[in-house]
Amino acid sequence: MARVFVVDDEPDMVDLLATILKADGFEVETDTDGRSALARMLVDPPDLVLLDLMMPDLDGMELLKLLRLDTKGADVPVLVVSARSGHQDQLGTLQLGANAYICKPFSPRELVRQVRQLLGATGDEKPRG
Amino acid sequence: MSTKRTSLQTRIARHIAFAVVLSLVASALVLVVFRHRSVQRNMERSAQTYASLVCEPLVTKISFLGNSGKGILDQEVAQLRELNNDVNRLEIVDVRGNVILRSDDHSLVVYGDGINAPVIDDRELSRAIAGLEPSTAVVREPGRERVYRVVAPIVNQWGIHHFSLVGTFSYARVDRELRNSLWLSALILAMGLGLTQWVSMTLARGITRDVERLREGVQRIQEGHLEERVTVNSRDEIEELAEAFNVMADELLATIQRLREANRELETLDQTKADLVANVSHELKTPLTALRGYLELMTDGELGGLPDEALRAAMICRKNVQRLSLRVEELVQLSRFERYMTLDSAREEVDLSGVLEGVIDTIRPRLEDSGIAIDIHVEHMLDPLQLNPEQVERVFLNVLDNAVKFTPEGGTVVVTAKASERDGHNGVLVSIRDEGIGIPRSELVRIFDRFHQVDPSSRRRFGGMGLGLSLARSIVEAHRGSVWAESTEGSGSVFYVWFPRLESSAERTAQPCPSGRLETAGAGEQMSEEA
Repeated sequence: MARVFVVDDEPDMVDLLATILKADGFEVETDTDGRSALARMLVDPPDLVLLDLMMPDLDGMELLKLLRLDTKGADVPVLVVSARSGHQDQLGTLQLGANAYICKPFSPRELVRQVRQLLGATGDEKPRG
Repeated sequence: MSTKRTSLQTRIARHIAFAVVLSLVASALVLVVFRHRSVQRNMERSAQTYASLVCEPLVTKISFLGNSGKGILDQEVAQLRELNNDVNRLEIVDVRGNVILRSDDHSLVVYGDGINAPVIDDRELSRAIAGLEPSTAVVREPGRERVYRVVAPIVNQWGIHHFSLVGTFSYARVDRELRNSLWLSALILAMGLGLTQWVSMTLARGITRDVERLREGVQRIQEGHLEERVTVNSRDEIEELAEAFNVMADELLATIQRLREANRELETLDQTKADLVANVSHELKTPLTALRGYLELMTDGELGGLPDEALRAAMICRKNVQRLSLRVEELVQLSRFERYMTLDSAREEVDLSGVLEGVIDTIRPRLEDSGIAIDIHVEHMLDPLQLNPEQVERVFLNVLDNAVKFTPEGGTVVVTAKASERDGHNGVLVSIRDEGIGIPRSELVRIFDRFHQVDPSSRRRFGGMGLGLSLARSIVEAHRGSVWAESTEGSGSVFYVWFPRLESSAERTAQPCPSGRLETAGAGEQMSEEA
């Protein structure tokens, strides 16, 4: 069963994301702090990361950069969850190494669709790039 | 500009030249007339003097007439003739009018005692000959030549007046002198004209130089060099004008600086406002996500079955959360309206079918939620267009959103895209047909106005602030395209969006990036985040 790591400073959001994913049969790990999340991810890379952008201390962008710099985290697919819906914001995160982008407020169905798509597309292979 | 400058100088030069030439011609004419007069008077005076002097020696010779004295008289007359170049003819006439001797350029005839002698029949001349006082007259010869005639009495030693001398003097020398002076004047005039042209241009240049300086100053200001000032020391109106100009430039500069400052302040305020709206919206989005997510999970039965009443309540919550989400998204759009329009319109070659696919994918969840089907017919091999992908995506999102909003559950939205010519330009036409309530004919144009909605109550029914279509129109028009709608009330509307194919040598720089579906490079590429 695919393991999804959810990082968001908002406990309610973490709870929601975990609930949606668990209901769909995914194994879910969560963290509300960027630093400890990164540390845990690098010890045991998950199959997919759901990442919030705006977090105190270490924000999503920084976390993404650091994750991609590590050999263990370089290939982990990352789905960014953000309130910013602008094209430039999306392009920026995608160029930083995120694999997909979903805007708040999203529907659970859309989230699951994107997660499945990412896991399917990157399954055992490296992402394009 | 340069033709005008030449024109002013030429105009001044022409005026100066005209004045100079006029005075030159006038003075030349006056000079010629005076010269002519003086030469003529000179000639007449010398003729009179000559005649009175010649009388004396002739008196003695006359007595030899009739005898063998002809030769002596001949010689004498020939000598006398040489004394004055103007002499045409010398005649000696007795007081009765009989010509005794006539000497002209060709011959000398002596008529002796007057058997065959010609007789003077001119009464005036006869009277002058008979008179004891010398007299003069200007007369015309039968050959039309104008001559000066002097009649001088020849009085012998006994005081007896038998004969008179009639001298006819030619004006040829005077006319020649006149001709010469005229030629000379003309020559001087011609030289004067050349000189005048140069002098007048130089003088005019002196005047226009200052005007030119002023003009250059104005042009510099026009080009945006507001610090430009003009220095003119002509001590006349032009200097005053230059000073006034400098004062005006000072004030202009000051005013523009004030305006710039005010504008900067406004921009800052505007930015603050936009940031505020954007931040508030973002702050709203996270709680909305939680609400929406849980409500959907609840109503979809993912969290276990709910009692009917609770399910109904949750459905209502879900619907309202959805409306709230739309409102928040519109607020963000509103805050971005200007930003969208001033967006450094970086154009790329865009494949419109790709953009449409991306947009439809973005709204697909909403379509599924409201049970609306979507039909897409995109022509193959559409020309790529030079567009700003982010803006164009917003256009179709808004128009499609509008179509979905007005299509009842179970309806179908039809999207087509095909190559189409409009006003002689090639381009691509996208049509979006809904099965909504339709739009009254009178409203078809106004629906693209900002904050306009056909029916105020429809805001409650269908939501939205009427911003989407006006933003769409602004963007489309910025791309030199057009957007319009056709509608049959009760059976739906068709929205058309047409983009022209712009000629551009730009290479294909980027692929279109539909929202949320792009997979790109890994950690290698970095880009600063745009907040």
